[in-house]
Amino acid sequence: MSKRNSNADRFRKQAIAGELEEPVSEARNLAEKLGLEPYPVKYWIIDYDEMNELIAYGGFQSRYPHWRWGMQYDKQQKQGQYGGGKAFEIVNNDNPAHAFLQESNTVADQKAVITHVEAHSDFFANNDWFGMFTGGRADEDQVNAAAMLERHARAIDEYMADPDIDRAEVEKWIDHCLSLEDNIDQHQVFTRRLDVDQPAAEIDEDLAEKLDELDLSDEIKGEVFDAEWVEKLEDEEITGSVPEEPQKDLLAFVREHGKQYDEAAGRGVEMEEWQRDILDMMRAEAYYFAAQKMTKVMNEGWAAYWESTMMTDEAFAGDDEFLNYADHMAKVLASGGLNPYSLGMELWEYVENTTNRQEVLEALLRVEGVSWRNLTDVVDVDDVLERLEPPEAIENITPDTLEQLEAVPDEWVDREALERAREGEIDLEKYPWKVLTYEGLARRHYSLVKRQHRGFLKRVSQNDLERIGRYLFDDARYDSVDEALENIDYAAGWDRLFDVRESHNDVTFLDEFLTQEFITENNYFTYEHSQATGQFHVASDAAEDVKKKLLLQFTNFGKPTIAVYDGNYNNANELLLGHQYNGVMLDLGQARETLKRIFELWGRPVNLLTIVKEVDEHDIEVAKRRNREPDAEEQGKLLRYDGQTMTTEDVPWEEVDHLAADDVDYDTKPDEWLA
Amino acid sequence: MGLRDDLERFREVGEERREDLADFIQYGDLAGSGPGEINIPVKIVSLPEFEYDRRDQGGVGQGEDGTPDAGQPVGQPQPQPGDDDGEDGEPGEEGGDHEYYEMDPEEFAEELDEELGLDLDPKGKKVVEEKEGPFTDLTRTGPNSTLDFERMFKEGLKRKLAMDFDEEFLRELCKVEGISPREVFEWARGENLPVSMAWIEEAYSDVPDDERGKWASIEAVEDNVERESVQQKIRREGIQHVPFRREDERYRHPEIIEEKEKNVVVVNIRDVSGSMREKKRELVERTFTPLDWYLQGKYDNAEFVYIAHDADAWAVERDEFFGIRSGGGTKISSAYELAQQLLEEYPWSDWNRYVFAAGDSENSSNDTEERVIPLMEEIPANLHAYVETQPSGNAINATHAEELERHFGTDADDVAVAYVNDQSDVTDAIYDILSTEGEADE
Repeated sequence: MSKRNSNADRFRKQAIAGELEEPVSEARNLAEKLGLEPYPVKYWIIDYDEMNELIAYGGFQSRYPHWRWGMQYDKQQKQGQYGGGKAFEIVNNDNPAHAFLQESNTVADQKAVITHVEAHSDFFANNDWFGMFTGGRADEDQVNAAAMLERHARAIDEYMADPDIDRAEVEKWIDHCLSLEDNIDQHQVFTRRLDVDQPAAEIDEDLAEKLDELDLSDEIKGEVFDAEWVEKLEDEEITGSVPEEPQKDLLAFVREHGKQYDEAAGRGVEMEEWQRDILDMMRAEAYYFAAQKMTKVMNEGWAAYWESTMMTDEAFAGDDEFLNYADHMAKVLASGGLNPYSLGMELWEYVENTTNRQEVLEALLRVEGVSWRNLTDVVDVDDVLERLEPPEAIENITPDTLEQLEAVPDEWVDREALERAREGEIDLEKYPWKVLTYEGLARRHYSLVKRQHRGFLKRVSQNDLERIGRYLFDDARYDSVDEALENIDYAAGWDRLFDVRESHNDVTFLDEFLTQEFITENNYFTYEHSQATGQFHVASDAAEDVKKKLLLQFTNFGKPTIAVYDGNYNNANELLLGHQYNGVMLDLGQARETLKRIFELWGRPVNLLTIVKEVDEHDIEVAKRRNREPDAEEQGKLLRYDGQTMTTEDVPWEEVDHLAADDVDYDTKPDEWLA
Repeated sequence: MGLRDDLERFREVGEERREDLADFIQYGDLAGSGPGEINIPVKIVSLPEFEYDRRDQGGVGQGEDGTPDAGQPVGQPQPQPGDDDGEDGEPGEEGGDHEYYEMDPEEFAEELDEELGLDLDPKGKKVVEEKEGPFTDLTRTGPNSTLDFERMFKEGLKRKLAMDFDEEFLRELCKVEGISPREVFEWARGENLPVSMAWIEEAYSDVPDDERGKWASIEAVEDNVERESVQQKIRREGIQHVPFRREDERYRHPEIIEEKEKNVVVVNIRDVSGSMREKKRELVERTFTPLDWYLQGKYDNAEFVYIAHDADAWAVERDEFFGIRSGGGTKISSAYELAQQLLEEYPWSDWNRYVFAAGDSENSSNDTEERVIPLMEEIPANLHAYVETQPSGNAINATHAEELERHFGTDADDVAVAYVNDQSDVTDAIYDILSTEGEADE
């Protein structure tokens, strides 16, 4: 970033940095009070051009040389402002994390970015899926992604500088690799080299156990965490170029068994050292970025949630800055139907609210004489909400109200900080939260009584009440509602949030928390394409349908699953890939183009078995007239590319039967949907 | 490594992959370019990946108020959270990212020369600017600071060399037994020494008595006294005095260089009458726009005049030029009259001029013969061109182009007539026009 080293430039940035020193350190203090455990964050002040550069380079300062970065920068420059908001934030998943603040942002925007970044950094540090890349060891030596990317950059730069290697060839090779960047085994702990002669690395022993804890629907287990998968992780063995089990890590497979295609010789020859090396590097980067792709909704939602808690609820933005901030926040959350910020944040709030509601309901159901059948009749919910309001002493903390804190439960108050506050060492006007503990802050920001969530407790369905009530024992513990409410754990919601952020990824997160209630309340629906009309139509608003559809978009990066089935196909060292068909067909145009790329990495003919849906032209005509949907027929296909021609041929069903999943169905079309 | 490198590489890749210039002119999207910047689409194929068939996949939407009913069309799918940011677009044959390769008119002209085998040598017109060249001219008067002292010193030295002589030798000569000053003078004259009789007489009388008759003869002096050339003398004595004369004074002053700047004014004339339909309009644009770029790239300074006409003519701005439509009749001479008037600002002595007109060859009766041709002959220009656009073949009255051809002949070097019936004719027309201009245009 030291592109422009003029003193004026440096001094200006230093001045901004000076202004932000306090917000940065206080945001960290606040984050830690709230229970977050972020990696250290290094903040950089950068100007508009530098921000554009970073965006073009995917958020990192040093990436391998490639003209595509130049293209993205060019585009970025021309587009002007990115995404409409100038407070665009970049933070790297790294230890230490690096975050970038644009110098032209207002202080309110900077604070918003800082609080947002602290939450991201906590997510990086604590989410297990991020640990997959690092093997669970999150120390600085192990992560330092910026350093890894820079190493790659240097190595590739050196290859390009080699007079025997053409830069354009290197760039092309990188492109071939990138076509397969999502074809890795992202549920595996990353190992630098896939060792083909020995069993793959031992996985986290309690992974299977953890999966059970997640309490996933069978559908999801079937999709990503099937027994086969767990088994495969535990004792996988690949012999030679014929994998015993279908191998999902295409990049690793071609790394070990692939050749480059030598145009002059007309055949595959051994890869050059640099080619293999670059394959390794691209694969490592793919694994590194995989965790982010797998947790986008959670991670963005997490950051938005804590940003909002700090900026709005804890007034980290000063009064004068708040309007500015609210405006910014509204823009971020409002952009486009299902954006990961708003979907994620709503889900986190939902997790918090349901946990808190369950805690309250369990307490109420334990009151003598209250049961799931009569709760709504005998308990005045408005009255309960009234009592759940944080006490005045916690709600409004000023230098004059400190005495009131003596009356609140001990665990809410940070005694040591309180002492210092009394001595005037703490600016309570600005940072009232300093005298509270995690529990105290949880009480202060109790979700069920927030204005936007006040209806949540009342909205509990009889079903949910029954579910909670039926399995409750010790159900006459309290004599009165008052007594029950005194025993509520106000931190239950937050505790749950922290647990969830550790173990889930987007697929499991949506699967578990996207409920009927949530879907209905947010007016979600699915749409499907009609062959008869040639356009998309609303298909279903049933929660299970919406969820199914949404999960399809998150499972395996939202991409079809492709695996290596044979590296010695036709007994001629051809590559055979299989598309594990889940009822949604491939984009065949894309598949063909991708096969051409794989050919470059395999050096010999490549084949792909898949299943497509075919509809007869005549049937479409008939269907159009009758206003219904034509029936599609599933047909096995073999796509083959030998370096010159691409062929597609029908194959008998027996050959693809093993690829078809019979227990999933992502089609949400109703029977009579166009009538 | 780094941004600058990658940008440069992107430009190289863009250059390799940009649309062929001829294709671009004939079929490409000209709208993305401005008058001074030509943006040629570059085909960047986005990286292919295994993906679901978008239609088979379906998606999830969010209703504004309530959930819409099943069966209701939803239009284009909403962006989905799993989508990669902004990386839409089909790979393979159908495109990918829309990128542009930027060219300035200079590069455009160069590339077009290469592509079409053109070789237009822009002529410099005179009296554009007088620049002060190096101080190499000399005059006899001038400010002291420009006095060429070196020259004056040299001249003085030359004069001194010419005037000086071996005084010692002549003095010895005066000591010869019985010699007279006249004999010494005669001898000196014989040796081409620049000495006066008066100097010799003075030297003769200065000879002390005891030295008279020191030498028996002139030959004895020549044998015994070493003669010294002027050069030797100057070397021995140094220059004590160089005679500076007023007549040697010269003052330097700068040379006047007449820079001939290459100025061009291009008049674009377009028939906007009712018979010029959309298709013809596009053909005119495809022909004129590259011509403008080309000439702009070839000349140092390019000015453009846009004239629209039906039965009357009026000057317009470039932005509106190609879009105008009117319902009136057609009188092409009206445009040439206006052109003649507007060109007064660009005198032929100082400006290269190109007058391009386009239309469907329809004109009011006799206008071509009686008015347009005389005007074309009257308006001096490097080139007059008429571009006929007739996508649907000839109309009965459309004889303007033919009449021009009949009058000027097909090999005139300052009049070109080109026919553009569809897009594929555009580059030929451009070639015809630009290769017409002859050597002798004045």
